[in-house]
This record gives sequence, C-alpha cells and structure tokens, in this order.
Amino acid sequence: MAAFDDDHPPRADLINDCVHCGFCLPTCPTYALWGEEMDSPRGRIHLMSQGLGGEPLSDSMVTHFDRCLGCLACVTACPSGVRYDTLIADTRQQVERRHPRPLRDRALRAAIFALFPYPRRLRLLRGPLRAYQASGLRRLVGRTGLARHAPTLAMMESLAPTLSRPVRLPERIPPRGPRRAVVGMLTGCVQSAFFPDVNAATARVLAAEGCEVLIPRTQGCCGALSVHAGRRSEARAFARALIDAFSGGDLGHRDLDHRDLDYLVVNAAGCGSSLKEYGELLADDPAYAERAAALSARVRDLSELLVELGPVAPRHPLPVTVAYHDACHLAHGQGVRAQPRALLRAIPDLELREIADPELCCGSAGVWNLLNPEPARQLGERKARDVLATGARLLVTANPGCLMQIAAAVRRLGSATGDSTTGRCSAAGDSSATGGVAIGLAHTAQVLDASIRGLPVDALG
Amino acid sequence: MTATSMTATSTTAIGTLAARLRTVLGTDRVISDRQELRTYECDGLAQYRVVPALVVFPHTAAECAAVVKACAAAGVPFVARGSGTGLSGGALPHADGVLIVTAQMRRILELAPADERAVVEPGVINLQVTRAATPAGYYYAPDPSSQQICSIGGNVAENSGGAHCLKYGFTTNHVTGVEIVTPDGDLVRLGGRAPDAPGYDLLGAFVGSEGTLGIATEVTVRLVRLPETVRTLLAAFDTTDAAGAATSAIIGAGVVPAAIEMMDALAIEAAEAAVHCDYPAGAGAVLIVELDGPAADVEAQFVAVERLCRDNGAFEIRIAADDAERALFWKGRKSAFAAVGRISPDYIVQDGVIPRTALPDVLRRIGEIAAEHGVRIANVFHAGDGNLHPLVLFDDAADGQAARAEAASGAILDLCIEYGGSITGEHGVGVDKAKHMPRMFTADDLDTMQLVRCAFDPRGLSNPGKVFPTPRLCGEVPGRHKGAHPLQEAGVAEVF
Amino acid sequence: MPFEGVVMPFEGVVPATDDDAIAGVPARWVAAPASTDEAAAILRGAAAHDLTVVVRGAGTKQDWAAPPRRLDLILDTRRLAGVVEHAAGDLITVVRAGTPLSDLADALAPAGQQLALDAPLPGATVGGTVAVNTSGPRRMRYGTARDLLIGATVIRGDGVVARAGGKVVKNVAGYDLGKLLTGSYGTLGLITECVFRLHPLPAATAYVSRRATGVDDAGRMAAAVLGSQVVPSALEVDAAPDGGIVVTVGLEGVPEGVAARVTTARQLLGGDPTVSGTAPDGWSAYPWGPGDVGIKLTGALSRVPALLAAGVAARQRHGVPLAVRGSAGTGVLYAGLPGSCAPETVAGALDDLRAAATRAGGHAVVVCAPPAVRDRVDLWGPVDGLHLMRRVKEQFDPAGRFAPGRFVGGI
Repeated sequence: MAAFDDDHPPRADLINDCVHCGFCLPTCPTYALWGEEMDSPRGRIHLMSQGLGGEPLSDSMVTHFDRCLGCLACVTACPSGVRYDTLIADTRQQVERRHPRPLRDRALRAAIFALFPYPRRLRLLRGPLRAYQASGLRRLVGRTGLARHAPTLAMMESLAPTLSRPVRLPERIPPRGPRRAVVGMLTGCVQSAFFPDVNAATARVLAAEGCEVLIPRTQGCCGALSVHAGRRSEARAFARALIDAFSGGDLGHRDLDHRDLDYLVVNAAGCGSSLKEYGELLADDPAYAERAAALSARVRDLSELLVELGPVAPRHPLPVTVAYHDACHLAHGQGVRAQPRALLRAIPDLELREIADPELCCGSAGVWNLLNPEPARQLGERKARDVLATGARLLVTANPGCLMQIAAAVRRLGSATGDSTTGRCSAAGDSSATGGVAIGLAHTAQVLDASIRGLPVDALG
Repeated sequence: MTATSMTATSTTAIGTLAARLRTVLGTDRVISDRQELRTYECDGLAQYRVVPALVVFPHTAAECAAVVKACAAAGVPFVARGSGTGLSGGALPHADGVLIVTAQMRRILELAPADERAVVEPGVINLQVTRAATPAGYYYAPDPSSQQICSIGGNVAENSGGAHCLKYGFTTNHVTGVEIVTPDGDLVRLGGRAPDAPGYDLLGAFVGSEGTLGIATEVTVRLVRLPETVRTLLAAFDTTDAAGAATSAIIGAGVVPAAIEMMDALAIEAAEAAVHCDYPAGAGAVLIVELDGPAADVEAQFVAVERLCRDNGAFEIRIAADDAERALFWKGRKSAFAAVGRISPDYIVQDGVIPRTALPDVLRRIGEIAAEHGVRIANVFHAGDGNLHPLVLFDDAADGQAARAEAASGAILDLCIEYGGSITGEHGVGVDKAKHMPRMFTADDLDTMQLVRCAFDPRGLSNPGKVFPTPRLCGEVPGRHKGAHPLQEAGVAEVF
Repeated sequence: MPFEGVVMPFEGVVPATDDDAIAGVPARWVAAPASTDEAAAILRGAAAHDLTVVVRGAGTKQDWAAPPRRLDLILDTRRLAGVVEHAAGDLITVVRAGTPLSDLADALAPAGQQLALDAPLPGATVGGTVAVNTSGPRRMRYGTARDLLIGATVIRGDGVVARAGGKVVKNVAGYDLGKLLTGSYGTLGLITECVFRLHPLPAATAYVSRRATGVDDAGRMAAAVLGSQVVPSALEVDAAPDGGIVVTVGLEGVPEGVAARVTTARQLLGGDPTVSGTAPDGWSAYPWGPGDVGIKLTGALSRVPALLAAGVAARQRHGVPLAVRGSAGTGVLYAGLPGSCAPETVAGALDDLRAAATRAGGHAVVVCAPPAVRDRVDLWGPVDGLHLMRRVKEQFDPAGRFAPGRFVGGI
C-alpha cells in the first residue's frame, strides 16, 4: 500500500523545490544529534518523495517523520524556499490517519492530548505539582494513562516549573490613557496553567501601551499542539471554537465580533504560529474559511504588536544582562526575531547577549519532549550550555515550552558535577559551560512589565 | 557469468559483509533498510542516483579502518561521504558497495592557535572550525559557499575553494596533515603539524583526489590570524563587461583582494527572490570586492579599489558599514546557487575556469550559447580567479529543455578548455565530469595520474567510477589473486 | 667530431667528463635536450639501453640527499630554458625547467610581478627548485614551490610525456601531480616545463631586526609578532655559532601600510631594533657553505624556541660551531655544521636535533653532508607512509631508472 492517500498528501511540486543542497542540515536538531540523513529535513523530504513514488508508510519511515520537532529552522535556512512546514504538516496528518501505531504509543499520545489542550485539566495538575509530591503526581498521571511511560513521566516531572499563585484576569482591561487599539488576548493552555504571571504581565503591558484588552473566558486551546502532531480534525475543532470565542457575545461586548478587534495578541510562540495559519487550516470549511482568514490576519505576537504601535509607556532602567532565546515558532514560524530584541534593547541599562547557534531548537517543540524524552534532554542541555556560556543573568524567551525545557536543563546541569550529559563529543564552544550554574528565566512580557512598572531586577526570574 | 548470478553473488557477499560490519559498529550504525538507504542515493548533485548496498557510520579512525579492511577483504567497493553537499557526484554511492558516512566523526580534537593549527575529525563542519577558533583570534580560511554544512573531510577530498581563495589559496594550502585509511584498510599519517615532511608529498596528492585514494580520518588544518580590518564594497555596473574591466583593473593595480565576486542580472534576480539582499536596482552586474589585512594597507588599497570601480563605470558603490551589512552583501552571493530554484524549476550549476583576462569574451560567448540552445543562463562567479559558475536554467517538464540545458552546459566547458582554462575550479570531477576529462587531458596525462591511483588502490575499490572516465588496470599486485581483472572481465576497462 | 671513436648508445648523448658527477658518483653519459620532445627521445633511449638517469639543472644541489646507487646518464636541463609565456593580466607564467630563477625574475619584473620564491642557492634553476622544493624566508607569506606550481609537464621513465594541472590558478581537475613531483628529487620523472602563479612585486619592503638576549627572548619576540597584526612576509631567526641570536621581521606592502607596520613591529620586538630597506646579511641563505653539513629542522610553530634551544645545547654538548637559521613563522629551520666535523660528532648532534624535532612534531633531515658523514648517519629519519611512497615509485618508475637510491628509504 502506498504511503499516502489523496487527502492532502505532501505535494510533489513542493518536494521538487528541494535541490538537495543540504543547507538545512546544520539547523536541524535531529541532524545535530545523530548526523543521519533520514533524520534531517533533506532526508525526510526524500522519504516523502519515496512515499509518493509508491513506497509504503513503513515503521521506519514513520519514525523519521515522528522524530521531526517541527521547529521549522530548516524553512528559515532553505535558500530554495522549500515549504517544509506545509510538507511535514501534510505528512503528519497522513501518518496519524493511516499508520497503525503500537498500543503503547497510542495510549501515550491519547493521554497527552487528553491533557494538554485543556487548560482546566492542566490546572488540576497544578495542585500535585505545586506540592511536588510524587505520589500525588503519580496518582494523577495514573488516571490519565501516563504511568506506564516512565521516561515521559520523568520528563514531565523535570519540566514542571515553580508555580506561583494563579491569577484570574478580568474579561476586559481598560487602556491607560487614550485608547490606541482594541486587542483580544489569547491566554493559552500551558501559559495560563503554569505561567499565569506571564499573562498578567502581558495584559498590563498592553494596557500600559494604550490597548483595551479583551480576554474572553470561553477561550480554549488554539489547536497548535494538535496540528503540529498531525491531529488535524481535532485541531480544526479547537480552531472553530476559538474563532467563536473571539466573536460576538463571548467577547463581553454584545455589539463586537472578531472583525471589530484590531488585533488578536498572542504571547506563546507556538499558539501564534498556529493562529496565523487558521486560514489554511479551515480553508475547506465553508462556514469558517472566511472568518478564519480574517482572524489570522489580525493575529500578532506581543512583541510584533508593541513594535508596530510604538511605545508610549516610559521604560525604567533594568540593569541586567539578558540572553534572548528565539522560540522556533516565533523566529522560524513567524519570522519574528528583530522585534523582541528591539524591545529589550530599548530598556535602559539592559544588556542583550546573543546565544550561540540561535537557530537550533531547545528540544521542547510542543509535546515532542514528552514523546522523545532522551533526545529532548540532550537538546535541552546543549541549549542550556550555550545559554549559560553567554554569562547572562536572565534568559528571556517568548514561549512557555522553551522556558520549561531550558529551565529543566539548567537545573540538571547545575546538579550534575562534571559533564557527562550527552556523550556526544561536541564542537568546541559547547564545553565552556560548567557547574555553578544559575540563571533567571522570564518571558519578554515580564521584562517589559518590570521596566514599565519600575520594578527591581530581583522581581524577575 | 550472467547478470543475475552476479547480483546474487554480490547480495550474498553484502549480507556477509553487513554481518561483519555490525559486529564492528553495532547494529544501529549499519543501515540496510531500503527506504533509509535511498535517502543516501545522491549527494548535492541530485541528477545522479545510485542506492548503496549498505550505509555505515564509523565514529573513530579505527572503526573506519576496520570497515575498509572488511570491504577490502570482501572485494567490495566503498565510497566515503561527509555532509553530502558535493556538486559533482563525488559521493555518489556504488550499487554493490558500502557508503561510509563520516558525518558522525565530528569532534574538534585540538585547537592550537600558538601553532596556527587545528586538528579535527573529517565530519567537522567547515564553519565550525572558524567558530571554534574565532575566540582565540584565528579562523579557517577556505570558505566554500556551503561552509555552513560541508565537512572538512569532504573539503579535503574535493580540494574545496571558496570566495576567499583568491588571496588565501585552497584547501590544499591549508591542510598540513592527514591521517588516512588506505584502500587496504591501514591507517597512515601524511604530513603533520610541521611543514615539509620528508618523502613524496603524498598529502598534496591526496588532497583533491576525490575519495579515490582512501578516506581521511583526521585532518590538521592551518588556522589563520583574523585580519585586523575587513572592508567590503558592493559595486553595481550596467554590464558584466564593465564589471569585468573593473576586476582586471584592480588586479592589474597589484591589489590582491581577499575576494572579488561577480553576479549578473539573472543571478541577482534569483538572490533577491530568495534572501532579499537588496542589491542596487537595475544593475546588469554587481561586484563584491573584499579587502582584508592590516588597517593601513587595507585603507590605502580600498580607496584605489573604489576609484577603479568608478573609473570602470560603477553607477553605485555601497560600502559595508558593519558586519551585518557585509553579511547581507555575501548572503546574496552565497545563496545564489540554491536561490536559482526560486526563478527556475530546474537548473544545472556549472563550474569552469578561464584566464581572468578572457572574462569579457567568454561571457559574451556564454550569452551566445544561451541563445543558441534556447535556455537562460545566470552567471555567478569568483571573478578574481576566473572561476565561472554559470547556472543553466530549464524546466524538466518542458519537452527537450533538459537536453538543451545539458548541451549548453557542456558547451561552456568546451569554451573553458578553448580559452586554456579548466573544466572544474572547485566542485571536482566526480561522476559528472569524468567524461569531460579527455577533453582537457590526453590519454597519457590521465594514464600518468592513474599511476597514483594504482599505487594507493590497485584494485580500484575506493570510490570507483569517479574522476577518470576509464579505470587503469594496475598490473599485478604482489600477494593478490592472479587472473583477469574483474573490470576487464566485465568489459568495463581496458589494459593500457 | 669531438667524440671520434666513441660509440654512443643512441643519438643525443655524449660521454661524460670528469666534472659530470653527482654526489661523487661519476656518470658515463650526458645529454642536454633542448625541448620536451628531445628529452622524451633521450629517455626512451635510456629505457632501451637500461640506463639510469639523474637530472641536473645548475647543479647547485648535487651534494644533497643520498648519492645515486648507479649513474649512467646525466640529463642536463640547461638548454631546456626560457620563459614560454607570461600572461601578466592573469598573473601566471609558463617557464622551461632549466631556466635560472634569476632569469625568470628579470623577465617578470618589468610587469611588476614575481615568482615569489626565494633562491637560497644562487643560480638554481626553476626545475631544481621544484624538484627539491627549496624555500626561503618569504615562504611565510607565499608558501613554497608546492603552493605556487599550478601546472607541469613531466616525462616518465618510459618516455611518455604527461601534463598535469593547467594554466589557471584555480583548478581541481584530476590529481595534483605537481605536488607529488615537487620535492621528489627527480625520482619520478623529468620535469620539463612549469606553470606558476605569480604575485605583484611589493611597492615597499622593510626589515626590522633585533638581537635577542637568548633563546627565550627570541621566542618571546616571535610569538609577539605571530600573535599581532603586522602580517609579516617573513619572520626569521638567526642563531650564529658565537651565541648571538637575531630576530628579523620582513614586511611588504603599500608604503603607508609598511610604514605603519614597521612601527608596530618595532614595539613588538622591544628595545631599539634596526630598520632597513635591505635584507640583513645571510637573508635567505643556508647557514652552511659547500662541503658542510646542512640539516633541515621542522616543528610546530610554538616549538621553534625549543628547536633553537636544542641547537644551542647541541653546540655546547658536542663542542661544534653549530649555526641555526630559518623561519620562525613557518617552523622550518636550518642547521649548519662545518664539513670538517667528525662523522661521529655530527651523528651525536643529529641525534639530539632529531629528538628535539620529533618532540616538536617535525623532522630533522640531513640535506647535504660530506660522504663520510652521509655514510655514518640516517639522512632522512623516520618517514611516514614510506610503503605508499615505494608503491608510487614502483608505478611511476618500475625500472628504477630515475636517481635510484637518492631519496627516502633508498627510493
């Protein structure tokens, strides 16, 4: 049986755009780990081409597709403009529909997707995590079917951030000073459950910059995790619900619908990237296609919007060295690199430092780190080393997944004496990070919030 | 022997060899799955495809030697591959052979700035050497356009050049030692950290031998002090003739720039589409001229270069204000090959060399070739050393275009030979140009070159079918089986 | 007829005279072809008559390396002379092998160009320079014949004429036979024509020299220059038998640049260095004379001071007036001892120097010596890849016709 059916197979014309130059290889996290062709974008495209040519969707082929983090660094690197993002998305939904996964694998995926796209379920997880009682955690994950997946469980435990008290944001926040824009705000799943402070900071910064902020309570998951995993019909359902949430009565203004929003602001890179593609995701749905495209056009990453609007709120000095980490779905997925750096540089006394190999993914990649704990650990530690090598006091990024992943890796490096993390002999430069590690972590929004409010550096990280 | 029985025999031999290699490398590092093997069927030149019988990933020189020894014992050919970015099919696998991928041998073993040396494994990426050496104030000078991904082992095999080899020379001038696995499976050191090792310069013969003399397992390279100053300008001209005249004027003035690169209008269009490099609008050609070295020397010469560009008709000159702007100048140039994919469904990257002074004539003739064959040709080249990279654009889906593009591409090589140049300046001969070698060299020339092959690899197991159109039979080798050579038996080779 | 009554083996050869000897081994015949074709005919004749052949240019390095095991015919290249082509715009020249380097320099200079090879032995031909890969101080900037040779015509022992490389600098078509021939001491074939890349003559040249207080001080100066941005064309050390050590930085470029770098170089050397527009005494010359012992010492750059120290120690330990001179910028030094030294003494000094060179990652090779010393010592020391070299020789010259025994491992 041929690998793909007629329902959106990877497109031959997009595959043929690849000239096999290999410029994508050094930016691919799995190639960086293993140095094997079939775990590189070029190799995966070749496998897709084989699939179109009649090769079956074998276990090994699926494995190589599954191993792709979907970081899209290759899309940035490609001089020929190959749309690997479209290719892998089309391939993944074929895999999900057509490839019978082993029971174990199916159970794990079902469990993950029964949990993560649901902020309320994630919030339930907060209790046990906050207390950090292993028994409690085990009880919970036992219910969700995770217990048999020890490496994934260990990864989840290691990822859990230190939690602060949940903050319940109002549905409408008035602008400070004259209103410059009406913006909807996505609170996200992981962001709202684990990083409520980031949402609070985002809302405050937007208000300080003259935005009226609308935060409908009915909003759920944007579907990013599902779409990246090839669960396209699930993703579509999430997308429709979110479009509804940002329309009409749900906005709290009976006379408003999403067309009256100037912008929909997102502070999580993965979510923003996925929202911007709603138009394509729902293109086949006559009831939603037009609304989806209209909403996508209004989506902005927080940093993008703030640069577009220009600052009105005065910044107070924040004397701190900052290493800025490009979240893949912000840098590669949305092409947003300059804006967050510009916003950070505009803060008096803040010194911005670049991280080596900035294009390389930290290994978080949605739920990839849960499905592939060991390589995710290696990638995380490699990134952590590069981050620590900057000597910065604070790591800033714009995605909750990256924050958790790098924080966990930094903790591991800190606790491990001696360097035996990857077994991979690395290029010089990797070796410079050593013990005695300590670095604060913050979202771009929190740094801006602290500067605008004149908080001390200690308030961060 | 029928074709069928030969295949059956070789399948058995491969099966036995695979088992042997799995004991050497472990199961994970020997690939025999058909789909996985197929991802290795081509390198950066995708029009030649051969699926290897096995792919293996050694991690050490000893493992690499063990693999080669096993191949030699089984009489199975082997091909080395680094990052698979070569543009002449040099790493094209052998259908009944083993593809030895060095990509996982990627440790920088030592950085010794005080010795101006680095010792690296063959899979180390070119740019990684520079990145590693930069904090100490040094870099690795050869910079092929694929430097972000091409491996040092591949650079050694191909004697890779790059934009800056005008001033700094090629890989062969920057490699002072190698450890190689000979086609017999022995580890041998050639050269080292010091220059002028006694005896024949086998190192000089090995670099650029395209994997036909063995596999480099460790490479000692020169590190060059980072220049005090780098100044780069981008000059826009109406025509390639004017840009060519400026190039000649600069060289004629006794200036040796680090690089002089030229792109014509079509190449500029492609680069703009790909990387938005924002070159001056309406340019028929741009030159990128880079000077580096001591500040006072560079300043004095940069003024002269700028003047010579203006004197020869540059209508706009931009001077890179900082590293970011310099990177943008180069980005257009370095992405140009792959960028052509944005303006044409298919294309052939040609690589030929002419004497620099013939540039205007040859460009005119290339224009004529394009018109005659009904194809578009974009020109990107290292103008300083006359290394042309014409990109012949075509659409494989359109009837007959591919054949016309191939013919135009071949005609360009003839032109290079006619003007006393070479059929390859840096991409190598590989499988792609082996057939052109007799147009540049006589049978005696090729026979003499192959004496070296016979010394290293009398059985022709190391990357067979590359460089030379016809393998030379090396005569009887002491201690080896007697009788007709298998190539001779198969009617592939003749006895000289 | 000058050789009436003598039966020549074939056309083009004449009987050797008493002067026609190589490293003390007399020859039977001499031939001096004037073209590649004539030379090929001579070599075919030699093959037909099973004659061994040693190629001779100006004869400046006859006492280098080992003497030939057997010598039938000296093939003199001095009539194979002249510049065939100088494409100034392309910065290349095609020159016949028997052309003296000085003649070539004269031919290129009017165009403001040079073949950037030093000539440590005045009178040396292009062919001899390539065959032995001799070099001088400026190799630091320009490399050696190995790096500048871009094409060559060679005649094999069976008389087959082959060309390698080409006339363009950038060229990777086929094997780089030029490199294999460079430094092969004429054991693989006869080089008749060479193609070189050229360089512009510098507009300004300066030499900044300072006497070091000792080996450590010389090492400090060399390291300072290497780590700096003065981009020297040469960095030489000269340790005379009297104990004095002089470090000299050679600078080339545009006048503004050289002036600025002279200032920097003075600061780097410290003290009160002398600055001159002309090279100091002994520049580009070996620290030995005819009949003396000459040793080439190589090592990693950072080990140059160690090599110098080994020279000083050997001088004291063996009581010999050992001189060391060479390039601290490339790790290639030369040591000279009087030819009058007892072979045993030379052997002892060589052992010490070779040990030091090995520790430095390099080699100690006796390039020339009186017969008694040659017989006593191992000229080459350890040679990596010797079995491959033998196989190369066997392929190129299966009959062992070219300079048998003259090269490493008795090749």
